[in-house]
Amino acid sequence: MKLRTVVDGASTDILSVANLPVLWICALGVFAVIVVQTLIYVRAARVAAPAAGMSSAELRTSFRAGAVSAVGPSLAVALVAVALLTVFGAPAVLVRIGLIGSVSFETGAASIAAGTMGADLGGPTYTQGVFAVAFMAMSLGGAMWMLATLILTPLLKRGDVSLRKVNPAVMTVVPGAALLGAFFALGLGELPKSGNHVVAFLASAAVMAVCLGIAKALRAQWIREWALGIAILTALVVTYATVGAGVFPAA
Amino acid sequence: MTTVKSTVNSADPALEQFDTTTARWGRLTMIAGLFFALAGPAYLVLFSGLDVDHARIWTALLAIAGTFGVLWIVEPLTYYPILGQASMYQAFMIGNISNKLLPSALIAQAAIGAKAGTRRGELAAVMAISGAAMVHLVSLLVLVGLLGSWLVSVVPADVVAVVQTYILPSVLGAVLVQAIVSQWNLRMTVVAAVVSAAVVFVLVPAVPALAFFGTAIAVIATAVLAWFLRDRSAAAEPAAPRREDSSDDVRID
Repeated sequence: MKLRTVVDGASTDILSVANLPVLWICALGVFAVIVVQTLIYVRAARVAAPAAGMSSAELRTSFRAGAVSAVGPSLAVALVAVALLTVFGAPAVLVRIGLIGSVSFETGAASIAAGTMGADLGGPTYTQGVFAVAFMAMSLGGAMWMLATLILTPLLKRGDVSLRKVNPAVMTVVPGAALLGAFFALGLGELPKSGNHVVAFLASAAVMAVCLGIAKALRAQWIREWALGIAILTALVVTYATVGAGVFPAA
Repeated sequence: MTTVKSTVNSADPALEQFDTTTARWGRLTMIAGLFFALAGPAYLVLFSGLDVDHARIWTALLAIAGTFGVLWIVEPLTYYPILGQASMYQAFMIGNISNKLLPSALIAQAAIGAKAGTRRGELAAVMAISGAAMVHLVSLLVLVGLLGSWLVSVVPADVVAVVQTYILPSVLGAVLVQAIVSQWNLRMTVVAAVVSAAVVFVLVPAVPALAFFGTAIAVIATAVLAWFLRDRSAAAEPAAPRREDSSDDVRID
């Protein structure tokens, strides 16, 4: 690979920097850390099991039950992650969306970061330089959850910080409002960009609403898990059709 | 709502050993994960030859903090009573807590008849999350890392161009609906919609300098307004964490 020659902050060839070997190594490093953590935890659980009145058969059953029930959600996450590969490249998608973060936060954070540079994700203004800043900023943003976990968990364990000491309304109103405000602002911000953006946004929202309605009517949890992937793919197919048909002037 | 806290003061040395081991190694592995997660983008910014203006990173982070900062603190507080100490270090590194890890843990506890909040329940949750983590790592590596990368390389260029250009509205439309349904609070939804529309369609076009922090402004204004306009009759209810089987994978994992 002629990687050295393709690094150019003004180039829109994102994938050549997004797939740099160093990024792959770091992504695999996160995978390796989780494997090591899991091995240590399983060993610790095995040692502690007799004292907790748990047989080794029950430990195996728990592990297997967790693994089996994770198959559906894992495939659903993988589907969404594949759709984002062209925007962030495989290493960033694996770490940010597959693991530590989640689709909604990471795309939101990247969009906000690109916005502070007057650029749009995926558009002609989405250069390698913008990608680098967005990737760094979303990673730092994601790191804050881990830092908060590292700091708060020991405090919670000691009982120094308790949910009871926090005003209950603060714990429900503020995060809920922040979540809604964030995704309303991010979503509405897409609409002025072009008619095709409106089509993509509305198609995605409509498919999600239908999926959640069906899931509720049929009490089918799996539809809920797959709803995001189905909505994204449908929206992209519909938009591909309107772009191809030239319904709207080019974005 | 269950709590793990009630039983942690057990005197059994084997269980104390479990707490010590998982706390120490949970923290160490999480710090290592944090290092690798930051090392990649840091390399890109510092050493790849891209001429990145560092001030832009801090500006971007500030805008992200204004938007999601409150969740950084609230989420660990919310999940701790459900997950317990050991699993906290697993969950916040593996991600997808509400849509994958919690259901896995609950199913495992049901499978062996362990109650959440007991030591058996805690160990079942640790084992279940471990099992879920292994499935997740394999499916990501194979389906996204290998198959996905291959797929992107064979898909026609015009399809890739459409995906790149329109992926953001295609994600955000669905995510917004998911957020509305997961909160299911008409008053809050209306406040958020009106505030955000005012910011996006009125404020930012009028004062383009504010565009950088448009989302953060909308979030802070929504939170403040929702606070003052909240339904006070509901305020007396206890601060129970939201239903663990809820449909919101919008929650930031």
